[in-house]
Amino acid sequence: MAPASGMSRALRLGIVIAIGALVVVLVLAFRRDPHDIRTGTVGKPAAAFTVQKLDGSGALALDEARGKVTVVNFFASWCIPCKEENPALVRTYERYRSSDVVFLGVLYQDSRDSGLQYVRDNGVTWPTGSDDDGRVAFAYGVFGIPETYFIGADGVIAGRHIGPIDETTLVNAIDTLRAQAKK
Amino acid sequence: MTFADLGSAALRAALPLAIWGCGAAAYAVAKRDGRALASARWSALLAFVLVVLAALAMEGALVTHDFSVQYVALNNARETPLFFTIISLWAALEGSILLWTLVLAGATAYVAWRGTRELPRLGTTALAVLLGMVTFFLLLITTPAADPFVRIDAPANGNGPNPLLQNHPLMALHPPLLYLGYVLFSVPFAYAIASLIIGEAGDRWLVATRRFALVSWGLLGVGIVAGSWWSYAVLGWGGYWAWDPVENAAIMPWLTATAYLHSVMVEEKRRLLRTWNLSLVITTFALTILGTFLTRSGVVNSVHAFTQSAIGPLLLGYFVTIVVLSVGLMLWRMPRLADQGGLGAPLSREAVFLFQNVVFVAATLTVLLGTLYPLIAEAISGAQLSIGRPYFDRVEVPLALALLFLMGIGPQLPWHGASRTTLERQFTAPLVAAAVGAVIAVIAGIDTPFAVLTYALAFFVAATVVQEFVRGTQARHVLHGESRGEAFANLLRRNGRRYGGYIVHLGIVVIAVAVATSQAGTVQQEKTLFAGDTMTAGPYTLTLANLRAASEPQRDLLVADVDVTGSGANEHLHPALVFYPNSTQAVGSPGIAAGPRDDIYTILVAYDTRANTWATIRVLVIPLVSWLWLGGLIVGLGAVIAALPQPKRRTAPVRVVEAPVPVEG
Amino acid sequence: MTRSRAIIVIALVAVALALAWSARPRAETQTERVDRITSELRCVVCQGLSVKDSPSESARQMKEIVVQRVAEGRTDDQIRDEFRANYGDWVVLAPSLASWSGVVWLLPILAVLAGLAFAWRWTRERSVPLPEAPPAQLAALRERVAREESLDLPVDAS
Repeated sequence: MAPASGMSRALRLGIVIAIGALVVVLVLAFRRDPHDIRTGTVGKPAAAFTVQKLDGSGALALDEARGKVTVVNFFASWCIPCKEENPALVRTYERYRSSDVVFLGVLYQDSRDSGLQYVRDNGVTWPTGSDDDGRVAFAYGVFGIPETYFIGADGVIAGRHIGPIDETTLVNAIDTLRAQAKK
Repeated sequence: MTFADLGSAALRAALPLAIWGCGAAAYAVAKRDGRALASARWSALLAFVLVVLAALAMEGALVTHDFSVQYVALNNARETPLFFTIISLWAALEGSILLWTLVLAGATAYVAWRGTRELPRLGTTALAVLLGMVTFFLLLITTPAADPFVRIDAPANGNGPNPLLQNHPLMALHPPLLYLGYVLFSVPFAYAIASLIIGEAGDRWLVATRRFALVSWGLLGVGIVAGSWWSYAVLGWGGYWAWDPVENAAIMPWLTATAYLHSVMVEEKRRLLRTWNLSLVITTFALTILGTFLTRSGVVNSVHAFTQSAIGPLLLGYFVTIVVLSVGLMLWRMPRLADQGGLGAPLSREAVFLFQNVVFVAATLTVLLGTLYPLIAEAISGAQLSIGRPYFDRVEVPLALALLFLMGIGPQLPWHGASRTTLERQFTAPLVAAAVGAVIAVIAGIDTPFAVLTYALAFFVAATVVQEFVRGTQARHVLHGESRGEAFANLLRRNGRRYGGYIVHLGIVVIAVAVATSQAGTVQQEKTLFAGDTMTAGPYTLTLANLRAASEPQRDLLVADVDVTGSGANEHLHPALVFYPNSTQAVGSPGIAAGPRDDIYTILVAYDTRANTWATIRVLVIPLVSWLWLGGLIVGLGAVIAALPQPKRRTAPVRVVEAPVPVEG
Repeated sequence: MTRSRAIIVIALVAVALALAWSARPRAETQTERVDRITSELRCVVCQGLSVKDSPSESARQMKEIVVQRVAEGRTDDQIRDEFRANYGDWVVLAPSLASWSGVVWLLPILAVLAGLAFAWRWTRERSVPLPEAPPAQLAALRERVAREESLDLPVDAS
């Protein structure tokens, strides 16, 4: 029998380590959700934008909400989860209507007519405008819709929610930001 | 009794049979018990019959639209055409695993019938291994992880197949081919493990499964090309390979299997590389399982991530078990596997095969690392990054070119080494061909350095193949007095391994030229057109004739009628957006005019949602892409020729089966 | 020099010339530059496609942004950095050589070199040939082989 050389011992060890590492990686991979991509804009100042209002009554600028806690919701008429989350948005909007929390809706990859129809059909009463060329979505790092961004009174994006949002999340986020603003 | 009940019962009956068979086969080998062997054989055959019944039962449930079966409710609807209903057996996870189990059980039954008779001890051990694997898959499909016969309250109508899966008849071909390729490789693996278990140091396992390995390789290769074709014709972005994790999962075992097919020749001729070949078999098989795991577990984002289920951890566990057991067995037996003698001259066929193996393994490792690196990076540091085409293209292309080069010189070099005169004799004409190829590329305007190099190498390899055929035909003509036509046919019949292999090389060359040309020469244009407007792309003129809505039983379409003229073309294409009732967004359906020189590929990118007056059309003029599919067919044809049994020789046969212990006196 | 060697040299020179011609420095048009940059950016709504390849609305909008930035005179790095600032490193389809992850570019080269070194050692190394077995043991071995191969079973015809 040919003797096992020293190289083969190193080889054995190397193989064992490599396979062990592979397995560890694959097991760890279960912990992550491949659909959860962190955007780069959270924690940075919210990009200023100006869009045309859906009802044609002029321009809508983020600047108007300066110094106030702001919720920006990206939506479209063809987006079924947007329709599902809408009642939660409406209820939350009503709840904070008398305060100085600002709600803004941005129409994403949709025609203004369809957007306007959607807004009317679903009782969206906060200001909404159309991001015609996608620059606003780009500036915020939008991956798809619905997405909701929370901007503090200091103008920094404090958080982002991907997918349909519920009332609890909305209220918690807004209350946290309002508390921070008071300090 | 409904189909679903029948299928479910069949699977649950097959499971204990597989377990029993596995134990019986192991007992038969350990105790030399003939009755146990017979029992194992019958268990394997019966298990196969039961799985066939289960598959037929699932088809029955699909065709009769039995929506009380969850799989049918999720993947079928009343309005789904019959063809797509039948092929939705493999449309989603549970059905795919059922198909896998079916093929595996079939291969196991074959080994039970033939393998255990040809090589009793080795074959029966392999049978035990295979039945163990069948047991695992039967366990998968009888637990909620992947049970296809799970019942629910029947809805009025089902969801219908995923829109992407009912766009093209190629869905009938791609998954079965791929699965046959994957699963048939279990047999060489089982034999390799068997030879390790019973402590053989010889090559019998290799020779016994040579044809299985070749057939599995060929089917996997053709399956991958079919998948490419599907991606091209259905996904609607104009490309055929995107280094998607699932594409990578399929090509990795194919790369190592290709390396294996070549290095076994070295083992047969020179009795070397035993450990290496065993490692390759184990790696290839492990990669097929890893590939399935990556596809089905949902840990990577992919085109194929249709469902996510508890099957992930189970497949991972299976993968780990396989790898640990195989590597353990190999390390245990490694001393027995030492080679006799070294490789000798660097400029010999065996050395070229070794270098080729190195490149194949490097290519495989690179694809593996590129696919897994985002997972690794996120697991270690939380960073999210992507590795996509820019990486894979830049890294794999040079490796592929190296392989092309080796493909040209390998078959031309003799075993044991070549002299200078041999080199001159073999390579003068091919080098001239290489020069011709390079010049043609430049003249045709395919002038990136990589494309020119590809053309040069492709012509080089093609010339070596032609040279081999010419010399072989001439030799037969002179020695046996056959006519040239007869001689050519006899080359393929009597030496199918070699000349079929050459035809495979030709197919690869065709694919290389197609890839290089389509990558370097594609012209892309995008324009918004009203009815009657035109746009130009390359030598072609496209006119938007009409933009209209259309309706089919299971889907609505918005179709752009595009007329293509110029450079001898007269085509009417219909790129469309397809709206399925259960889907929010439309699926693009490209309009393609395939031709021997160019494919004209049109995509309806955007349209006037209000009044259908304008449409934005993207056009790609892709040269030589049709040669890709042709190349795939040639590879398949070559594999068939190489796998066919040779006609009986007139001279005394060489003993293929060797004694396991070297006893040369 | 023999005739065939002359032919070989001429052929190699021709290939080299063709390669040199194809590698000649060419000015990159703006369209080509946009294509190159967008081929390295990931379409955020697709499964791994680049912004260049994807026909989706998001990709087309992003391409327009790149076109505008190129017209404004931004460098490649500036454009990529803007995308990375908004979407994270995930949006770039291959890590740059400068970053930690740049190590992935080295792996293929290392793998090939390691493999070649391995193979080179293998072509040089000759292992010790097995000693021959004595004749009596040989006969016993042959008998054992024959027995094992047939499994010594009354295998039935089923």
